[in-house]
Amino acid sequence: MRTGNHIESYPRHISLSDNPVVWFWLVALMAAMIVLPAFSGLFVLGLAIRILIAAVGAIGLNLLTGSTGQISLGQSGFLAAGCYTTGLLIADYNWPPELALPMSGIVAAALSFLVGIPSLRLKGLYLAITTLAFSFIITQFLLFAEPITHGPYGVRIEDTVLFGFDLADPTTMYYFCLGILVLVTLGVLNIMRTRVGRAFNAIRDQDIAARAMGINLTTYKLTAFAASSFIVGLAGGLMAFQFRFINVDIFSVTLAIEALAMIIVGGLGSVAGAIIGAAFIILLPEFVGDAIGLLPAGISDVLARGALEIKGLLIGLVIILTLRLEPDGLIGVWRNLKRYWSRWPLSV
Amino acid sequence: MDLFLNLVASGLVIGSVYGLIGMSFAIIFRTTGVLNFAQGEVMMLVAYTAWTLTHTLLFPFWLLVPSTIVLAALIGMAIERLFIRPMTGQPIFAIVMVTIGIAITLRSLTTLVWGHEFEGFSVPFSGGVVEIGPVFLLTEQLAVLILFMAVSAMTWAFFRFSRVGMAMRATSQDETAALLMGVDSRRMSSFAWAISAIVSGLAGVMVSVLFARAPDMWHFGLKSFPAAILGGLDSPIGAGFGGLIIGVIGELSAGYIWNGLKEISGLILIIVILMVRPYGLFGEKELERV
Repeated sequence: MRTGNHIESYPRHISLSDNPVVWFWLVALMAAMIVLPAFSGLFVLGLAIRILIAAVGAIGLNLLTGSTGQISLGQSGFLAAGCYTTGLLIADYNWPPELALPMSGIVAAALSFLVGIPSLRLKGLYLAITTLAFSFIITQFLLFAEPITHGPYGVRIEDTVLFGFDLADPTTMYYFCLGILVLVTLGVLNIMRTRVGRAFNAIRDQDIAARAMGINLTTYKLTAFAASSFIVGLAGGLMAFQFRFINVDIFSVTLAIEALAMIIVGGLGSVAGAIIGAAFIILLPEFVGDAIGLLPAGISDVLARGALEIKGLLIGLVIILTLRLEPDGLIGVWRNLKRYWSRWPLSV
Repeated sequence: MDLFLNLVASGLVIGSVYGLIGMSFAIIFRTTGVLNFAQGEVMMLVAYTAWTLTHTLLFPFWLLVPSTIVLAALIGMAIERLFIRPMTGQPIFAIVMVTIGIAITLRSLTTLVWGHEFEGFSVPFSGGVVEIGPVFLLTEQLAVLILFMAVSAMTWAFFRFSRVGMAMRATSQDETAALLMGVDSRRMSSFAWAISAIVSGLAGVMVSVLFARAPDMWHFGLKSFPAAILGGLDSPIGAGFGGLIIGVIGELSAGYIWNGLKEISGLILIIVILMVRPYGLFGEKELERV
């Protein structure tokens, strides 16, 4: 009889997963993701690309807000910075896209020191407001510094050929985003099982105690800011290839709230949660849109006109309900189910 | 010099709006410790309701003011009862996230019901011009200043002298002791939401009179954060005057330095202030224990 999941050695404790079943399903999932473009139309592929990019961004935000406990409402600013870096370097400075994409992460990480250093003394709500202010400053800069950023006219990206693959083709773009997401996921999972990752969690749980245990708050908070912003900036760079025409309007406060909704719904502090949350928040309006289409014509016409509002309404309600009913998010629901299943009949 | 005085005057007008919203942030924060990210949306909802009262139901002005106040109080109490009270005992982080959820919900609900159109909001006193020395002010701009003064005075008197106001201060200082003294802290939280909805709702009506009843009104909520931080999140009067300062600085920097600074000079200011004083200019430093 199975009595529980006993972990007996340290390497096993920090391994990504000690369960062969998990590995099996992960491989199955990857295989399904790889063959997806062969079976899906352009619409599904476009949706999948949006989910993949959103998941990269959500993982980045989760590293800072979920794992290190630093509430940031300003990651949309870093997203904008990354997106514009890639776009402008390609469009105005004729950089090869292979170099312009990593630069998006590097510029965002460098900018994160600008907000990270003033934020070292701040906590909780004050930090949230400062980061929000910072993202406003970035978008305002993008809008007004016309000689550098084209201001309100936006940036058009013509050259999208990376290592001989043209990202304007949805299938290529899909595989490219999938590759980046896998790399980012592995990267963050590996950060989280080292000293750095444990330090992040310690800071989230109780920063004064963490400091007393010999964790340098300055170093680790800035590391968290930089790592998170690098990933978010990279997601921004991917967005530049996704849209191929970028404008400040994309990076509104609503985007920051959607990102926050992703990590809350998925489960704060969990990489898998961020991915599930991203998929959930992107797919929710689509499914609801389909459901509205099934309603009688009179009602569905009225509701279809307010599609954007209904999306906002749903995201808001999902945030409120998740926090009220299951603060650990979807990944928490899954963990509870798993525990119930493996400990039955002793489970409660 | 004339330019300077006119910039200061228009800064004071816009600052009064920031101040009123900043005050409503502080009223909730002071009593319950929650920063309400939905304040701009509450303001927008009240303004839209008041617009319907005036332009669809054709309420006269003398009836509009009291009914707006009553409706605002009901809206504030309803939000508190539906979304905030069930979260009692949860970490502040979770409650603040809930207010972000409320914000986007209310925003979408308002545009879903009223649509995207910009509409004017006419009141009997709008349209005139008042000349004070070299400064030209529209009558509705003057009305905003007067409203700000009146609301500040009433808020100050309310917290200073009234029984409920003192009970609210007691709750914020020490909730357990206040409970032992017979203060119903849940009711205080409800009152705080109602009062802050009234204050920001009045600001919302004035914003729609000054500019328009528009679906992007909620931006004023975000723009008023600097006011609340500058004046201290736990001091309603401080937050009010913080708003005036932020408004004047915004207009002056836009007039003399660079037009793009109008929206962000306040934000830059609070980043600098928070670097020097992490708990705001007048906020109290909290001692933490592990």
